[in-house]
Amino acid sequence: MGFFSTLGDIFRILRHVFRQIFKRPFTYFYPFEDREYPERTRGRHIHVRENCTACKQCVRVCPVVAIRIDVMDQKYNKDAALYFDYTRCIFCGLCVQACRFNALYHTKVVDISAENREDLIYGPDEITTLDREPLEWRGRRFR
Amino acid sequence: MKDVLEEATEIWFGPQHVSAHGWAAKLTLVGDYIVECDPNAGYFHRSAEKCLEFRDFRQGALIMERLCMLEAFLAEYPYVSAVEKIAGIDVPDRAKIMRTIMMEASRIHSLQFWWGQFAAELGLFTMLLWPWVDREFFLDAFEELTGSRHAVSYNTPGGVKYDFTDKFLSKLDRAIQRLEERMPKFRDMLLRSPTFKVRTKGIGRFDANQGLRWGISGPNIRACGVPMDLRKDSPDENLTYDMADWEVPTYTNEDHPGESDAYDRMVQRFLEIETSVDIIRQLLPQVPEGEIYERKARGKVNRLPEGEAYGRVEGTRGVTSLYLRTMDKAQTPYRAKIRGPCFNSYYSLKHLVPGNKFADFIVIFGSLDPYPGWWDR
Repeated sequence: MGFFSTLGDIFRILRHVFRQIFKRPFTYFYPFEDREYPERTRGRHIHVRENCTACKQCVRVCPVVAIRIDVMDQKYNKDAALYFDYTRCIFCGLCVQACRFNALYHTKVVDISAENREDLIYGPDEITTLDREPLEWRGRRFR
Repeated sequence: MKDVLEEATEIWFGPQHVSAHGWAAKLTLVGDYIVECDPNAGYFHRSAEKCLEFRDFRQGALIMERLCMLEAFLAEYPYVSAVEKIAGIDVPDRAKIMRTIMMEASRIHSLQFWWGQFAAELGLFTMLLWPWVDREFFLDAFEELTGSRHAVSYNTPGGVKYDFTDKFLSKLDRAIQRLEERMPKFRDMLLRSPTFKVRTKGIGRFDANQGLRWGISGPNIRACGVPMDLRKDSPDENLTYDMADWEVPTYTNEDHPGESDAYDRMVQRFLEIETSVDIIRQLLPQVPEGEIYERKARGKVNRLPEGEAYGRVEGTRGVTSLYLRTMDKAQTPYRAKIRGPCFNSYYSLKHLVPGNKFADFIVIFGSLDPYPGWWDR
């Protein structure tokens, strides 16, 4: 190996190092920014109670018995009180397909975590609202 | 004369070993050499067949794809095919060709995963990450199509659930282009590597007759030069492999024709990837317009007539099939029996391993492309 080829190697390495310094990293600064999710992302569900007729097709089709509709709930007597158990859900999308009244949708929120198991059972109030807007929340860039 | 077995030690490889996630083998060692290998199944058992008996015909495919997440598009097909045969559902042409394309893409993804994993088992950890980077692009394409990276839930009795979009097609094209650019480079790097040759050549060798007797199928038997492939031998009427012009990939090593060792199986799997890319490239322009789901199927799968059917597909690891039996007006199967491809290759370790060194055990195991989900149903 000659002197010039070694020098050339050193310069090639230096060029690579400088390029890496000024490049954006491949990884995301996760809790504050996230990658873009496709349209069809099967994340947590949202329930539109105005459209729901409590026909229970989603309950019937769910392979892991994650959905429960409480017909005896007096507060939501006329509408459906839907309980969604995210400790059981496998995000297969069958419930969204089964819904003929456009009352159940997937959202792009895929990172669900809670301190207790009970918090992962989303009640009628939680399943109808998004606790955070996925896109606005993710818009902040740190680097 | 002293019996060598008096000094033998028994050790368990797995189930806590890093490389043995969900399986264990009892090895009898004399010095560094293995004299007996006793593979044990059952550590990964999830009673999938019983689960299928409690799920209706729409939900069953979800159980099947969870047996092997790496080839999810392929794994759920035998169940779907069997249900379609019993219910007498005609699948639209567009859905047939879409299924075939996605199954081949799934095969490439699974082989890339195995290739990186096998290199890592030999200690070449750089080769673990390079194919896995390319694999990410396939996962991105799957996510664009179905909304999920691994548990795709794509095939359903009567067609497929999600239609191709322009964005998905561009992502798939990008993934294949990247694979075609980078795979030859990595392949030459790996197959010419002296470390790789020393570790794999002549290790775990069996001939075609032995392989067929043990029931090994797929790339493992094709590496012996046997052109056995369900895609060609008995083409499924709901898949469109006949629309592409391709040959069954077989590899014959000139040093020992009719036999395969770990090195030959590696070369064979690169040929498999090339064939799959070839099939996808030919099928993509031929996708016709039309429906992706037969609407009559929605009513038919609620209750099936009495009957039995056998759905099968050439999976990444070999013949994957399922026997389904239903009673009259049944909402759930009476019996479902899964035949996974890896059970036979896993138990062939009993014959392949003795006589080799302990360090070669994981090479032989890895070269058969095993997946515990397929032998512990």
